[in-house]
Amino acid sequence: MFSMLMQSYVVTLQIFALTLLGSIPLGVLVALGRLSKFKPLAWLMGLYISVLRGTPLMLQMFAVFFLPYYAFGIQTGNNYKFTACLIAFIINYSAYFAEIYRSGIQSMPRGQYEAAQVLGYSRSQTFFHIILPQVIKRILPAMGNEIITLVKDTSLAFCIGVAEMFTTGRALVASQRTMVPFAIAALIYWVTCIIIEFALHRVEKRLDYYHD
Amino acid sequence: MTNSVEATHADASRPAVWAREVYKSFSGRTVLDGVSLKIMPGQVVSLIGPSGAGKSTMLRCLTMLDRYDGGTLSYGDLTVCSGDKGSCVYDRDAVKKARMHFGLVFQSYNLFPHYTVLRNVMDAPIRVQGRDKGEVESQARELLAQLGLSEHADKVPDQLSGGQQQRVAIARALCMNPEVMYFDEATSALDPKLTAEMHDLIRSMADRGMAVGIVTHEMGFARTVSDRVAFLFEGRIVEEGQAEEVINHPKDERTRGFLSMAED
Repeated sequence: MFSMLMQSYVVTLQIFALTLLGSIPLGVLVALGRLSKFKPLAWLMGLYISVLRGTPLMLQMFAVFFLPYYAFGIQTGNNYKFTACLIAFIINYSAYFAEIYRSGIQSMPRGQYEAAQVLGYSRSQTFFHIILPQVIKRILPAMGNEIITLVKDTSLAFCIGVAEMFTTGRALVASQRTMVPFAIAALIYWVTCIIIEFALHRVEKRLDYYHD
Repeated sequence: MTNSVEATHADASRPAVWAREVYKSFSGRTVLDGVSLKIMPGQVVSLIGPSGAGKSTMLRCLTMLDRYDGGTLSYGDLTVCSGDKGSCVYDRDAVKKARMHFGLVFQSYNLFPHYTVLRNVMDAPIRVQGRDKGEVESQARELLAQLGLSEHADKVPDQLSGGQQQRVAIARALCMNPEVMYFDEATSALDPKLTAEMHDLIRSMADRGMAVGIVTHEMGFARTVSDRVAFLFEGRIVEEGQAEEVINHPKDERTRGFLSMAED
């Protein structure tokens, strides 16, 4: 039982890691689009964020999973489950991350941009060397919150049958008529979060060398 | 500061910065109404006047943080913008080049909090001007030494006092080897001793051939540090001349009114 849970835990970790890998950079693009002076793009990204934050992740996952068949008649193989789950997670989390980035970017004092401008920094130099490092420090607590939430959200993948830890736990509970698998799964989620909290704390400490 | 002396090649007979008949309005309200201002190399010019007179706007436009609606602005031989009211055209290329002609010490310093003092001073010369790291570092360390900041080189700005932060901002601007240095409210946060030091520092910059422009409402400081002062009132320069002359014997009624209040 424990070994089955641990096997599916690997899938949980894959969903977790790949989602972060995709959504953290995608969120940057969404946030920059949202803040763009080109209004149609800003509006479109506003809509993207609104829809993805305003509908359940579970429904988004169904949508991504069934869309190829219902919209285009494409038969998707069994392997598509995992891909669909990842696509849904990545776009969903990119919307949340984009809003965190946006709030971070907008919280930067105008004087930082002006100082960089007077010193002749280009727009991209200003963003990558002056603004972004400070934004990272500012948004770290909010990012930490989302990342912790993601650990537990991976369990939503059960709804399209991805064999992650919660799906396996549920199957074990049903077949063995005991709640123990759920208890073990809960403990594993918790320990995972403790490790992540610890890592986040380390990063925060490292960025604690300055205050503004 | 020998480096800076060599780097300031300004032709002494040509204005380091020259704004001619400049206009600026914000949503229909005229803030600058045909202002002309010229600073020669080696000259300290203060822009004085009551709050809301347009001093800050003038400085923001001189430093190209804001744009004039009309008039001509030039740095040395570079014409940054020209045109009549409402049709002022900025030359993008000239704007970029002109940024290398001046340095600005912000009222709130605007240091980069995530960089050490040394990095604050060195980053732009290396990244923007593409200069050699070793050469920049030796100039930066020399500037910090002259400004009494050597022991703070590896600290971050938030570990320093306000006066020290201001000197870092000065070093950061000077390390770009500008021909013109601007100060926004140079002394408003300084005690009398630091104000005296600031006076000497600004005079030494001018002695080295730099043009210095100061926006201030502290008359005592403006009088002693400046060669010339211009009194700005409701978007116009109503009186301009030698610092002592304008401040001690103002001719214009508005200048007199403002100065008599500033005495207290």
